Amino acid sequence: MGDSLTSIRVNSALLPRFVGKTIRIACMPIRSNGSSATTMTSDGGHITVTLLPDTHMAPNTYYEVIGSVFNPTTIKLLHCITMSPNLDMKMVDDTIKLMHDPRFAPKVFFSL
Amino acid sequence: MVQLTAGSCIGLHNAAPDDTSLFDATHTLQLLSVRSSIFIQAMLATQLNHLVKEEQIKKNTISMLLIILGMDVVEQMVDKIGNPVTLTPEAGQNQAAATPTTSTSAQQTPAPAPAPAAPPPQRQQTSSSSNRGSVYPIEGLSPYQNNWTIKARVTQKSEMKHYATAKGEGQLFSVTLMDETGEIKATAFNAVATDLFNRLQEGKVYFISRARCLDTSNVPSIKYNFVELGNLESQPKDSTCDVLGVVKDVGECSEITSKATNRTITKRELTLVDKSEYSVRMTLWGKQAENFSSPGSVIAFKSVKVGDYGGRSLSFFSSSTMSINPDIPDAHVLRGWYDELGNSTSYRAHQSSGGSGSGTGGTGFQRSQIRSLHDVKATSLGSNETESTYFSTRATIVFMKPESLCKKVTDDGNGGWRCEKCNQSWPRPKYRYIMAMACSDHSEQAWLQGFNEEVNEAAFNEVMSESTCKTYNFLCRDPNGRGQSRVRYGIVRIHPIDYKEEAKALRDMLLNSPWGQTAV
Repeated sequence: MGDSLTSIRVNSALLPRFVGKTIRIACMPIRSNGSSATTMTSDGGHITVTLLPDTHMAPNTYYEVIGSVFNPTTIKLLHCITMSPNLDMKMVDDTIKLMHDPRFAPKVFFSL
Repeated sequence: MVQLTAGSCIGLHNAAPDDTSLFDATHTLQLLSVRSSIFIQAMLATQLNHLVKEEQIKKNTISMLLIILGMDVVEQMVDKIGNPVTLTPEAGQNQAAATPTTSTSAQQTPAPAPAPAAPPPQRQQTSSSSNRGSVYPIEGLSPYQNNWTIKARVTQKSEMKHYATAKGEGQLFSVTLMDETGEIKATAFNAVATDLFNRLQEGKVYFISRARCLDTSNVPSIKYNFVELGNLESQPKDSTCDVLGVVKDVGECSEITSKATNRTITKRELTLVDKSEYSVRMTLWGKQAENFSSPGSVIAFKSVKVGDYGGRSLSFFSSSTMSINPDIPDAHVLRGWYDELGNSTSYRAHQSSGGSGSGTGGTGFQRSQIRSLHDVKATSLGSNETESTYFSTRATIVFMKPESLCKKVTDDGNGGWRCEKCNQSWPRPKYRYIMAMACSDHSEQAWLQGFNEEVNEAAFNEVMSESTCKTYNFLCRDPNGRGQSRVRYGIVRIHPIDYKEEAKALRDMLLNSPWGQTAV
């Protein structure tokens, strides 16, 4: 998939397809233990995010995490964008699904 | 008649205070007044008590009459300006309202002459035996009945209003009366109004008769018959209904000037929501608007008018009532629901049912009917319609040009401003701003025109600078359907974009609509 500067938005169900690639995922931390955090994604899945030393993820806030996929349940954080506490996760999830829909994905968004 | 009087009086005299035959004395009074001159009858209207006393003095029935007067006496109201208000005293007003209304028959038209002697004796007998039978149900009232009495509770009393017409001026107030069968509104004028205003109190029950009855064809039914906000669309425009809802938002009080009467009226808008997850706007007027201060409460509204502004809207009528946090099961259920879910639910507002710009004028912004400005212009150029058509569009304000304008008032050269319509001079006109906005979407630019209330320069400029370059949803009106090159579309409604809503709409369109399914 292209150059390493692109990151496709996914949800937790799509992670297996992108192992080794850089992706973006919207998530909210539910538990943090030092160097990593367990977060919940837009489709309700739980993934582990390995944090950078200076990264702080506050609970109950939504973040978009740009990271590389280590395995289907873990991503390594490269960058983290803070979003507000108000995010319609359902909307996000629907959008991601639509993005990856074979009708739209190749033409509009990216080629797999 | 004298015999009658005497008999009654004697009967009264010996009767116990609670004896129902007391009411016969009212008969007596009436007959006396019939015999008297019309002048006295007219006086009866305004000075009932005094007159009665005089009568007492004349006929030596002081004691009996005093007994009657010891109860609360209620007069009726006559709703006609200036006519000699013929009042007749009614016996008995009790909160318990248990007193029978034998006085019904007592209230004859004091027409001078015709055999009042003959009918009254019969009436007297019958009335003493038949009690509640003489009370008319409110539903049974009609303009063709003259001798009726109703027993009703005052559910609502309006303020005393002063008016001035070409014929003169006066004052009036109105009440809503309610009994088991229905409701009716009654109005009292001038002298009667002054007298009764302090005597009729909300919540109390009175006997009322001898009022002139005007058109009772639309007496509404009494009980609360709540319509869920989601079902308001099934209520025709201009009908009245009851709603029970939670006040989600309370608008500010604003003053508008009525073009008709040139008076300022305060109004306030509330947003009501209920379990059907619909929201609707309710407009309050006057005192209710000013005194309203209970956001978040459950309110039962009765007899509010259904309008079609913005799809569906509600307006408080003069005959509407509202009770805040009423103690009825529906209200408790609603309260519980709102406390749990209400705040987080996003409510739908009614969309108007007009088609995309048909003559009836859809008055709500219709997302599904959004047209591009280019489309609008092209269509209007080709059509021959002469009515205004409405369309919804989304555009960004590119440029705003304010013009101030006083619509009806022209400079009359004397340093004052004269309004043509109502023929009055004003020292200073009220400026209303017309805003001409150049708005663009991806296809085209158009000039839209909006109105603004009188507002001072500073605030206005601030609003202007903030709104420029922002995108809004518009509902616009095309004034005469024929697209002319310099036409300005009037803005009927304008909303800032709620991105959440728009995103949802787009998603639904993609996922659910046929258009979305077939996209390739």
